[in-house]
Amino acid sequence: MPLVRILALLVFIPASSLAAFASEGRVSAKAELLFHIGPVPVTNAMATSWVVTLLLILFVRWLVGKPQIIPSRGQAVVEGLVEGLRGIFEPIVGLRAMPVAFPLLVCFFVFILMHNWSGLLPLVGTVGWTEIDTATGHHVGFIPWIRPHTSDLNGTIALALTSFGAWFVIVMKYAGPRLLLYELFGNKADKNELPGVMYWGLSLVFLLVGVIEVVSILIRPITLSVRLFGNVFGGETLLHNTSFFPVFYFLEILVGLVQAFVFTLLTSVYIGLVCNHGDDHGDESHGDPDHSDAKEAAI
Amino acid sequence: MTGNIALAMALFAAACSVGLIGFHAVDAVGRNPGASGKVLVQSILAMALAEGLGILSLLFLK
Repeated sequence: MPLVRILALLVFIPASSLAAFASEGRVSAKAELLFHIGPVPVTNAMATSWVVTLLLILFVRWLVGKPQIIPSRGQAVVEGLVEGLRGIFEPIVGLRAMPVAFPLLVCFFVFILMHNWSGLLPLVGTVGWTEIDTATGHHVGFIPWIRPHTSDLNGTIALALTSFGAWFVIVMKYAGPRLLLYELFGNKADKNELPGVMYWGLSLVFLLVGVIEVVSILIRPITLSVRLFGNVFGGETLLHNTSFFPVFYFLEILVGLVQAFVFTLLTSVYIGLVCNHGDDHGDESHGDPDHSDAKEAAI
Repeated sequence: MTGNIALAMALFAAACSVGLIGFHAVDAVGRNPGASGKVLVQSILAMALAEGLGILSLLFLK
């Protein structure tokens, strides 16, 4: 199969040529400082994230162009993506919070996916300055120019805090403080089915459970950010240490997709846990043919 | 050679749980192929939560 051979060559050529550039195989956990703009230090992760984000915005704008009723090809691609994501997230978030939460979720997914995959492009993490000790003339370090946004812990913390803040705003708007407090601390037992003493005892239990719940909510930003950072940074280290071995390269393509999906899915689950238990059961009623079709396509 | 037995145990447990979730997800899809989309969402979520603990320990256990 000539096609397979060409594909294999396409993978191998960048892989083997980049291995020559790669430094000692150790990726620093901290993003390296490139230059200052005024008093603000600019790291390589920041610079990469600006460039990739700008390219992403321009690319989507160029694809969609001027939105039309009969979509152009590019618009159809973007609409397909958005409708597929809607089919996945609508049953989780619930119909009420969906109009506000959905743009955020699409944005998270595409942003994180593109930034994860930007770490797999040729030259990322392998071209840069070498630091030479002036006294001895030995190499002491290597500063890559390009480093993906999600392989810097600061970047993923920013994403996780955005997710947490948006969660709070959406929950306050669509559930309200009363429902949130009831959801956390309130007694969900049925008063008519239980004797009074037991009901009040259960209230105490629910109160204690609520305290645990609050702690678990407060560590959500930490777990979200560390999970994304750990996966992407671990992937970078793996690739550098194995000289960009093709098998791991494909593994990292998969990990980038799965982690973007997981981040978005967890955000939507957090929103849905509080907002999604009214009378709207988006996933049970198959009344809306449009959305069930989108769901089938997404599966 | 140096190592950290606590870290090894944490990662071992995380790997085991991810494998277990995958095993049962495949089992469930085998029984009911129509539900593959729903099972995928649930299993990826559970995997992320299990693996998150492993990564937390990888970063914070020193």
